[in-house]
Amino acid sequence: MSYGVQVGSNVPARARTEKKNSKQKQNRSLLIRTVFLMTVCGVVAFALLAFRLYDIQVVNSAYYESRTLSAQLRETTISATRGSIYDANGKILAMSGPVENVFISPREIMEKEQDMRFIAENLAYILGVDFSDIMEKSTKTSSQYQIIKSKVNDLESEKIRAFISENRLSGIYLEPATKRYYPNGELASQILGFVGTDEHGLDGLEMKYNAYLSGVTGRDIRLTNAKGYDLMLSGYGDYYDARNGSNIVLTVNSSIQYYVEKHLAQAIIDYDVQKGAICIAINPKTGEILAIANYPTYDPNNFLELGGEQIERLAGIEDKEEYEEAYKNAQLLQWRNRALMDAYEPGSVFKIITLAMVLEENKANLDTIFECNGKIDVKLYDDVSTRNCWSRWGHGAQSLNSAIYNSCNVACVRMGLSVGARTFYKYVDAFGLFDKTGIEAAAEGRSIWWDESVFFDTGNETQLASASFGQTFKVTPIQMITAAAATVNGGYLMQPYLVKQITDSEGNIILANEPTMLRQVLSNETSLVMRSILEDVVSLGTGKNANVKGYRVGGKTGTSESIEQLAMLEENDTVNKDYIASFLGFAPADDPQIMILLLLDTPSHETGIYISGGNMAAPVVGKMLADILPMSLGILPEYTDGDFGDINVHMPRVVGQGIDEAGEILRQNGFTYTLIGEGAIVANQLPAPNTSIASGTNVFLYTDGDDAPRDTVTVPALYGMSYNQARTALAEQGLFIRTTGAPKTDGKSRVSVQSISAGREVMYGSVVEVTLIDSDASERRTN
Amino acid sequence: MNKRQAFSETNKPGTQELRLTDDHFPNWRERELSARHIKTAEKAPGVDKPMLVITLVILLIGVIMVLSASFARGSYTAGGPLRLFLRQAIFAVTGIILMLIVSKISTRTISRWSMQLLFVSIILLVLVLIIGIEANGAKRWIGIGGENGILTFQPSEIAKLALILSFAQMICKIGGNKMKTFKFGVVPFAIIIGIVVILLRFQSHMSAMIIVTFLAAIMMFAGGTRLRWFLMVVAVLVSMVSGLIYFQLRAAAPQLDAKDVTIETIVDNVDFSGFGYQGRRINAWLDPDGDPLGDGFQIRQSLNAIGSGGFLGQGLGQSRQKYLYLPEEHNDYIFSIVCEELGFVGAMLIIMLFILLIIRGYWLAMNANDKFGSLIVIGITSLLALQVFLNIAVVTNMLPATGISLPFFSYGGTALWLQLIQIGIILSVSKEIPAPAEDKTEDAGFAYDPEY
Repeated sequence: MSYGVQVGSNVPARARTEKKNSKQKQNRSLLIRTVFLMTVCGVVAFALLAFRLYDIQVVNSAYYESRTLSAQLRETTISATRGSIYDANGKILAMSGPVENVFISPREIMEKEQDMRFIAENLAYILGVDFSDIMEKSTKTSSQYQIIKSKVNDLESEKIRAFISENRLSGIYLEPATKRYYPNGELASQILGFVGTDEHGLDGLEMKYNAYLSGVTGRDIRLTNAKGYDLMLSGYGDYYDARNGSNIVLTVNSSIQYYVEKHLAQAIIDYDVQKGAICIAINPKTGEILAIANYPTYDPNNFLELGGEQIERLAGIEDKEEYEEAYKNAQLLQWRNRALMDAYEPGSVFKIITLAMVLEENKANLDTIFECNGKIDVKLYDDVSTRNCWSRWGHGAQSLNSAIYNSCNVACVRMGLSVGARTFYKYVDAFGLFDKTGIEAAAEGRSIWWDESVFFDTGNETQLASASFGQTFKVTPIQMITAAAATVNGGYLMQPYLVKQITDSEGNIILANEPTMLRQVLSNETSLVMRSILEDVVSLGTGKNANVKGYRVGGKTGTSESIEQLAMLEENDTVNKDYIASFLGFAPADDPQIMILLLLDTPSHETGIYISGGNMAAPVVGKMLADILPMSLGILPEYTDGDFGDINVHMPRVVGQGIDEAGEILRQNGFTYTLIGEGAIVANQLPAPNTSIASGTNVFLYTDGDDAPRDTVTVPALYGMSYNQARTALAEQGLFIRTTGAPKTDGKSRVSVQSISAGREVMYGSVVEVTLIDSDASERRTN
Repeated sequence: MNKRQAFSETNKPGTQELRLTDDHFPNWRERELSARHIKTAEKAPGVDKPMLVITLVILLIGVIMVLSASFARGSYTAGGPLRLFLRQAIFAVTGIILMLIVSKISTRTISRWSMQLLFVSIILLVLVLIIGIEANGAKRWIGIGGENGILTFQPSEIAKLALILSFAQMICKIGGNKMKTFKFGVVPFAIIIGIVVILLRFQSHMSAMIIVTFLAAIMMFAGGTRLRWFLMVVAVLVSMVSGLIYFQLRAAAPQLDAKDVTIETIVDNVDFSGFGYQGRRINAWLDPDGDPLGDGFQIRQSLNAIGSGGFLGQGLGQSRQKYLYLPEEHNDYIFSIVCEELGFVGAMLIIMLFILLIIRGYWLAMNANDKFGSLIVIGITSLLALQVFLNIAVVTNMLPATGISLPFFSYGGTALWLQLIQIGIILSVSKEIPAPAEDKTEDAGFAYDPEY
């Protein structure tokens, strides 16, 4: 049966029509449903997709793009080499050198299925880092960069390389980095400051000039695949080359800095200084800072560690927290550039300024006589207040220059009163003592003065009286030396500065400082008088112990105590009083090339040496100048005949000579000698050739072969002895003497410190240097 | 002779000729007769050219995109950058040959083998559970030749085609009126769906289950099953899902007031992680940034790729996400790379091509010479549309992730073969459409409608 047959058959027409209708209906239903499907599957569904794509790709494209790039872009920094810091003579004080960082890629180590324990054990062993630290870092398996140790040295990085190649490891890497080196260790540490691990300056000039020194870090931006490797076939990315940091040339002379620090450290030991010491050396004509030293000091290479013997001072602290606190404070103290930051009461050193204003105002001249009977009453409204001179009996009638070299308080009070409070403050202002000096430093301290309303009170002269001899106000050491420099350089207040020039990495000068005169405070004539009076202080007065044979040295002593302490202690309680022994010296006195201000904060009473600037600070400055003038500044000594007996001389070499020639040479050099043995040729000599030795020393010449004694001897205690007593005491032990400080020919000179402490065992024939002080030359402490 | 008789008669063995009822090929005999009468055979129009051309264009773009997408990963692995592309190209060329061969097969032959194909595919679905290649804890692939097979294929792919063909066959046999009954219009189909879905459930093959279910529903819908049955199923599903969300909300946020329930609160509070793997995918869909390195990783990378394509794209070959950021970049997520490289413009162009293909498919269905041909073209076209939609919806995070590949684009040889074979079937149906007479071009109706 077929459709065709059906057509021709006699199927009832109604049935056919019904069937046809139903079929039509079905076909229509299929058609409608197909159209519906076509609409849904062909149009609606894709319209939804189009909207969704439009939303992602057009509306929010930027969001996804940035999210994608943040995952795909890898930025590596190209570190710029930090600029170097040089001293005035081009000697490197701070520099950055290449080192390497060791890091691991925990992800790679995991993916390559390497033995993390084995790697960690070896890294810990080679680099000296904690094993558990490495293991902890290795658990961050999504990371590709975990620093194991920064700035490893060459030796360690070689070992790491060998370890990697021997074991065919991957995932351990070395990347170049730079490390800051301070080749001179502690030298000028507070000036330079230090940098953190990221080579960012944290203190001192490193911080102040960080922007110049650090340069501009380069960036290498690249597209990477998901494993962090560079994307192939991609030109996308940016490269910015690093620009190295600028170099800074300082005015500091590292040779001067070295001598200053050396003698400062020795002074700390000699006088058992409790609270540290400060020293500034300046070129008074230009304002260039030649050296700044502070004690305690530290090594910027390891700035977190305590320098010197500070750690021993903490040894007694048992409590852990207390110890940490003390350690932290000690760190802060050693980093502090106190010379620029901490104001102090300058005491008698300030008398320079008082003197200068009196001379400039013509209230006194060299012929003026100042009467001192030991005390002076100053007006305190209806009452009077007494100011004592350090000499209880008074200095009697004294000329202007003797009033200064006597450091007479009464005379200075008279000078101050003679100019008046307003003029006094006018000069204080002119000398720049109200303002910060503006020296290039990370921070600079302020001075503290009486408010004008108090100071200018005509009914109350006590402030003016005390200020005239340097008490009841505070200035910073840098302010003090800057002002003092103006008094001796012709009267010009010079801007003190540390940075001579800054050059970029190509050598172009981008900043150059020249000596800057801020104003002329004194006339040249006044300055000339100042120089001569201050030279007298050293040659005749309280500054005698700073005398350097062969040079003309000027200066002023100071022994001050803090106003806070004055309020706390009984006036006569001298046992517990803390003093700042200070000395300001300059040389040569007729043409000052260098000025040094030294502060010894709280020397111990226990050394037995009478605490005063003249006794303690002056000899130290003298020793500094004795080294600096010939060695650093090339100024040769010019001895007078009178000096000759006082100086130390070089021991000539006479070994191998006939006894006659040897004797002649020694005689010519002012030595006497003793022949030991029967030979005709000198086989050995004591003291050894080329040592510096006191003139007039008796030399032992050994002629019967080399039979000089080889045994050790004990150094005797010499404190308080005269030169001759000390020489005899040393000679009894077979030791020789050399002196510094006050003239040995001066009968009043006494030994204050000795270079080799008493009780030490030394070789027979060694030389002991003693510091002589003229104990009469020191002002007495009364204020 | 009534319908029932005709139906029973066709089931008599050995009466191949008689099997063909008027429901199968209503116009066939008429046309044969008329041809006999007129003696001038209509010139065979051949396969549908637009269908063929669109397919080839899409295929060409697809293969190029496989090259672009697989290049990066290939470079990092042993096979080299061109390995996947070359393999895909070989499959494409052979697939085109297969397509052309299939297009030569007559619709009748296809119809004849459709129930057998269903039987075979069910056998394969069982077989895959036993001899299948295990990957990620599921056995979905059967390998031919060697341990892991030179050729591998998914029986589920074959099952989809078998379902289309067999359902079309069944619909034609059952006939229009009976399709409206529950007994004939729902039950037989439901049984077959049940068997297939359960077998797919053993493979944990969620995407195939979804597609098979939708496909079956579309076939039944086209075949004339009453709408009420669909509505009932939809109602049941909706109530199940809302019940699930309700209890989740009650548990997660008991203080929540009914009027405060919004999409946000649902997204914030509903957690499907208790539903295993699929549940975690739903969570990642709702909040891709919730677990950016875990479940949300893939969809985030996909969105990154699509979004960074922008309007005009990074340029062909310039995708950056393919450099190991986006997993499955040459496979299920190839469209993300397409979007990144070709931009919104390129993506829309490709979507337009798919729309053309699909609309052309439905158009061919409407013009098919017979109901069977019409139904299988509807089925294949719908399958294609479903796959394209679900794939793009997943990569754009409109829907939770399922493992649905993008036809003609995603890497995969045997799947591509099957897709091309399916197009071959459409072409086979299309070539039997008579060329419209000049004066009838505007009457684009069902060609087999007896009215014509």
